[in-house]
Amino acid sequence: MKNFIFSLFVLLLLPVYMSGQAQAIKGKVVDSSGMGIPGAVIASSDARATADADFDGNFTINAKPGDILKVSMLGFDPVSVPATTAPMTITLKESADTALKEVVVIGYGTRKKIDNTSAVSSIKSEEITKMKVLNASQAIQGKAAGVQVATSDAPGSKPSVIIRGVGTALGGRNPLYVVDGMPTDNINNINTNDITSYEILKDASALAIYGTRGANGVIMITTKAGKGKLVVDVDSYTGFRTPLKKVKMANSDQYIQYSNAAFSAQYPSGRFSTNQPYNTNWFDEITRTGTYSQNNISLSGSSENIKYFLSAGNYEEKGILNGTDYGRTTFRSNNEFKISEKLRLTQNFSVSSIKNTPKPLSAFTSAYRQSPLVPVRFPSGKYGVPFENNGVISESGDSFNSVGNPVVALDYNNEQQQTVILQGGLKLDWDILKSLKFTSQFNGEYYTYKQYNYVDNLALWLAADPTRVESAYDSNTLNKNTLTRNRDQYFNWNLSNYLTYNKVFGEIHDIEVTAGIEANVIGTREKLSIDRKNVDANSNYWSLGGVPYAANVTGYKDEAINERRLASYFGRFQYKLMDRYLLTGTLRRDGSSQFSEANRWGTFPSVGLGWIVTKESFLSDIKGLDLLKLRGSWGKLGNQDVPLNVQSFTSGVDYNGGTGVTINSQIDPNLGWEIVEETSLGFDIELFQNRLKGTFDVYDKNTTNAILNVLPYSPSGITKESPTHVGEVSNKGIEVSLRWDDKINDNLSYWIGGNYSHNKNELSRLKDVQIAPTNGGSLGNGQVTKVLDNTSVGRPLGSFYIYEYAGVDPANGQMLYYNANGDKVAQGALDQNRDRKYVGTVLPSSNYGITLGLNYKRIDFSVDGYGTAGAKVYNGKKSQRFYGENVEASLVNDYWTPTNTNASNPAPFNQVPVASTYYLESADYFRINNITLGYKLPLNEDGFINYCRIYVNAMNPFISQKFSGFSPEVVGDGEVIKGTQGIELDAYPALRTFVIGANLKF
Amino acid sequence: MKKIYISLFVLASLFLSGCSDDFLDVNPTENKPADPELINNDQDATTMIDGIYNIFLSWDMSSFAWNGATSIISDDADKGSDPGDTGTDKDVLDNLTYNASTPSFKSIWDYNYAGINRANQALAILPKLDKVTPSLKNRLEGESKFLRAFMYFTLVKGFGGVPIVDHLPIPGNADDKIMQLTRKTPAEVYAFIESDLNRAIETLPLKSTYTGKDVARVSKGSAYALLAKVNLYQKNWQKVVDNCDKVTGYTLVSDYSLQFKKEGEFGSESIFEINGIGGTSSPGFGIGNYSVSQAPRGAGGWGWGFNTPTEGLANAYEPGDVRKNATIIFRGTTLYDGREVASTVSNPRYNYKAYSSAFYNQEFTDTNLRYLRYAEVLLMKAEALNELGQTAAAIPLLNQVRHRANLGDTPAVSQTDVRKAIYKERRVELAFEHDRWFDIIRTGQAEAAMAADGKTFVVGKHELYPIPSSFLQQAVGYSSQNPGGY
Repeated sequence: MKNFIFSLFVLLLLPVYMSGQAQAIKGKVVDSSGMGIPGAVIASSDARATADADFDGNFTINAKPGDILKVSMLGFDPVSVPATTAPMTITLKESADTALKEVVVIGYGTRKKIDNTSAVSSIKSEEITKMKVLNASQAIQGKAAGVQVATSDAPGSKPSVIIRGVGTALGGRNPLYVVDGMPTDNINNINTNDITSYEILKDASALAIYGTRGANGVIMITTKAGKGKLVVDVDSYTGFRTPLKKVKMANSDQYIQYSNAAFSAQYPSGRFSTNQPYNTNWFDEITRTGTYSQNNISLSGSSENIKYFLSAGNYEEKGILNGTDYGRTTFRSNNEFKISEKLRLTQNFSVSSIKNTPKPLSAFTSAYRQSPLVPVRFPSGKYGVPFENNGVISESGDSFNSVGNPVVALDYNNEQQQTVILQGGLKLDWDILKSLKFTSQFNGEYYTYKQYNYVDNLALWLAADPTRVESAYDSNTLNKNTLTRNRDQYFNWNLSNYLTYNKVFGEIHDIEVTAGIEANVIGTREKLSIDRKNVDANSNYWSLGGVPYAANVTGYKDEAINERRLASYFGRFQYKLMDRYLLTGTLRRDGSSQFSEANRWGTFPSVGLGWIVTKESFLSDIKGLDLLKLRGSWGKLGNQDVPLNVQSFTSGVDYNGGTGVTINSQIDPNLGWEIVEETSLGFDIELFQNRLKGTFDVYDKNTTNAILNVLPYSPSGITKESPTHVGEVSNKGIEVSLRWDDKINDNLSYWIGGNYSHNKNELSRLKDVQIAPTNGGSLGNGQVTKVLDNTSVGRPLGSFYIYEYAGVDPANGQMLYYNANGDKVAQGALDQNRDRKYVGTVLPSSNYGITLGLNYKRIDFSVDGYGTAGAKVYNGKKSQRFYGENVEASLVNDYWTPTNTNASNPAPFNQVPVASTYYLESADYFRINNITLGYKLPLNEDGFINYCRIYVNAMNPFISQKFSGFSPEVVGDGEVIKGTQGIELDAYPALRTFVIGANLKF
Repeated sequence: MKKIYISLFVLASLFLSGCSDDFLDVNPTENKPADPELINNDQDATTMIDGIYNIFLSWDMSSFAWNGATSIISDDADKGSDPGDTGTDKDVLDNLTYNASTPSFKSIWDYNYAGINRANQALAILPKLDKVTPSLKNRLEGESKFLRAFMYFTLVKGFGGVPIVDHLPIPGNADDKIMQLTRKTPAEVYAFIESDLNRAIETLPLKSTYTGKDVARVSKGSAYALLAKVNLYQKNWQKVVDNCDKVTGYTLVSDYSLQFKKEGEFGSESIFEINGIGGTSSPGFGIGNYSVSQAPRGAGGWGWGFNTPTEGLANAYEPGDVRKNATIIFRGTTLYDGREVASTVSNPRYNYKAYSSAFYNQEFTDTNLRYLRYAEVLLMKAEALNELGQTAAAIPLLNQVRHRANLGDTPAVSQTDVRKAIYKERRVELAFEHDRWFDIIRTGQAEAAMAADGKTFVVGKHELYPIPSSFLQQAVGYSSQNPGGY
């Protein structure tokens, strides 16, 4: 049957192939080494004929001698020669454009980029190392269309990466990372210098091979391998970092003016007197100039039978927030052994050790709020507190706000985290036959984490009030100190075995079939934590031998997170006809231990089609058009990182002296992964001798069974919400990237490029159920800013749902808001069920990146920029003022007073303001991410040091933003819907960084 | 060679597919799943059923709201307490000015359905318990069905037709949504109750076969008695008689007051009784704040003082009726255990049946709820016989109850007089046993009785509680409010 279909297929295409069969002029197309070039296109506009070179490069074409034959082939510069009666030999020069020979990493194999039907963004190592950052994902911001990266400059933070929109409400939305075959969810442990390629699989045709883990996109990271003679590569840089933007706060005088107005009801003659001893700039007090440096050394090379790569790296950062330190040491060894002509063993191993001392980011909010009247310390040496006595700041008296001293919070925060991650893999490639290869790959990851947090309660108690003395501390009921320790570890492994069969049939049918099986285990995550009290102040004595400390244990937890297993079968069929018609079909069948037995297995198919139009004779004549490739794909993907169907017995319902249990929850028996269906169309184009390259994509992605928490109906007798497949989430978008590269002469080349992507995201449909509202964006004062519930249909995920600010009441200076009827009312008259509105979303609808640069002789220069549009950011820190806190300087210049009733800001008030558009600002921004200037020293290539490049970098030197806060790019906890992404509260400011470094090779 | 490798590969895949389901069976470590295997033995199977009984200990199910909607609302009791303390909504219940948002009705609705869920959970899991002795499994099914029927009876008496949830609904399922949101007719609900009770009758043992603390469980007699009461509400008089006749093995206890004390619980007269166990720990296993919410308030008292007997109830007792002093605490008197109720407490009368000698001022006391007693079976049968025209046969049954109360034979002779006498006997015999309000509506006495209590009972409205607005908001397009303008 299969054979029959195949022959039918061949028959159908035969006419296309037959059209060039007439006899006349014969010849051979060869490359510079004399090898035949199969599939080269020979066209003659004079003779109105075309032909294709066969497998050996031979061709025949119907033409008269003297007719101009244009010979072209992808990857070679086209030539035009007159036809001759003698057998011709036409040599094509390989085009400078190596992109056509570029290989992209796809799951379980590689593919020549030109033959690939799917949407894959490839980012090369130079692009990644150009940005001097810890995590490679931060470096790719703005470099791939359709990939939205939001970063935080907090040391050790993990960037938020969204590929083609967020398709899930309650499930995980992070892409899957596959590092040298090992699936993982964080790449903070990977030294960016060890990466050779970073590829982002974006469409269903590329992703379906990852089945239930493909829906959020997959990022494939390949680390380096050795090549050629021994090279020792040393790269070192150091830099300093300062906030990109500061917020100007009111100084003492301004604070007094504003606060006296705010307290005027209780203190008609003014609460604070005008002459105050202090004028503290709290932001300056809690920050320092950040510094960081990274040193790497690698050894690489190859001999006949061994390729080796060995590297060690160290990254150290002192964050701008006092005391925030982060250090990472990595070690990697990648080797490839050629055991026999047919057998290769690849081994990779990496160790990463991270040690950091985080500090509470709430210090930024405290610094924003604390009054400038308060000193860091009083002359007595005691910490400053917001006490006033007769209107003057004082060590005793009445407290005028509830904000702690931010410096105290940092001084007494004593936390340390240590993480060690080991990753390793073995891969065996066996060329069973020339066309058949067997690959077996095992990877493992071991993670261990320990942490302690020591809180000196007594010192904090004393610092909160200078009048306190230690003897007054009630040590019977209060702990002098508390110590929390955490341990966390897991082991994950992955085993895949697959066969790859690659053969060309009948010279025009290029077939590659991959089929395999895989087992993946995310091991039980074991977590231990212990809470203790009144430990020795010296950390050396926390864990003395043989000392019972049970009496000081206040809490103990010993948890084991469920092991997760995945068993999979996968297959891929790639077919290339006449080097121009491309077909890719993939199928993955995944079984996941997370779901009930009946819902465990899922099948994820995809199909991709491609057509290299420029290979057709009718386009071979068009001048300036070097490549045109159309692509289209459809596929089905899964997201298995979803809430679990957990139903437990409820105990404690005893009766009559007997034990009672019941079940107080509902489950959706069909709960499984979320399914995303995606259709994607695109084309790649190269023009003007490959100088202009472009890629265009459109996609329509639909999560067909998004999971939301359904609220039971009251007759069910159950109040607990349960995750159920009830929604649909749509992501539709376009992606464009363009790049112009040109070489003017041997001394000067330059490029300019850019990409743009637009994504429209919405909760497109909801079944007829009642959804348990998911609130998000908490401001920590009872106010929430985001919601997902039955009213959210048609809205983007991560929408702000707050009151609409209606300006200042000229009569009394109060803030007014529009209610549902459109009337302006004060906050007391608002109804939270009716009057809130959807006013924008956390996620940008479009983002864009630009890049330009030049190489002139030994100098290289480049600029990269990134921008987003369409998102909002909530100024959460600003909404924290409700009693005696500081305000921004700009506010003091323009607020309502009885004599200034048209002010744009309300009169000073002393209440928690409702979440409203007053605090919502545009998050649109454009930032220069990186400017690099490098100079290669003129060195003798045979010398001991044969390469030396010195460079300076400016990262984030400029930003254009509308937001009045520190940074419009707020990752928060990375939770778009239920968390704090897009809320600037306790947020680390974006940093401007200047780096100087050198790269040497021996 | 090639063939060998391919076959090896195929073999490997077969191997993986063969045991991949085993490979995927991961034992959860985060939480203990509700796996039937965990209770697949005689001892643990019972726990699912004890969990159903437990709902009757809830504050929302059986305590404040329930007193409000069955006693305070009626002519037997007033809100009590201090004038300024509304007890959330007890004032509007007392004055018949409640509406669909009155919280007590929501409590009753939600908690009876919560209990029905527990019964449905038990009924869903029981068939999977193959290692449980079949006779025990039968009994457990009978207990679950009895309790489910009892709760539906409460709902249908109070709210009229309600949604019948007879299996565990699946979230997002359209049919289950309709099931949960559509009110059935009272007749359908009654039919469902009867079918549950008939199954309970088949499977439950006689009370006499229970030993030890199992005596607190429902028995065949409980099911017959409840079925008789269900018949009574539908005026199926002959069935009332028939089913009452099948309630055998019970006798009236000689001391009426004894059965409301700890030492009298589950006595020979008790047919269905909820067992409170006093204690000071929380959660406890008495009926949450049942005693203390009704205990004397103010100086010399120890409770909140709600649900106070009306003067009308006090006056309803004939002279010499021992039930009066067993039902009503009068201020300034001494209780059976010697505890004095000061004359300074806020209200003149309190509910004696809620009193617990031990833990008297605690959230959880020994007080039980007596839902079905043999005295009521006698009165039901008497009423049914009288309605069937067999007045002469009814009178001795009525007298049996009167004699125990230290009263003489009823003077009533005519069918009408005997009917009135039975109604009155029910009032004084069953006062504060959560029956009065439904009884006066069932028998058509409500308008007059409430008028005598100084309250306006609106005919065509107050026969049914308002359906809670919280449910109606979910059920827009499926169910509507009861008549009368709630």
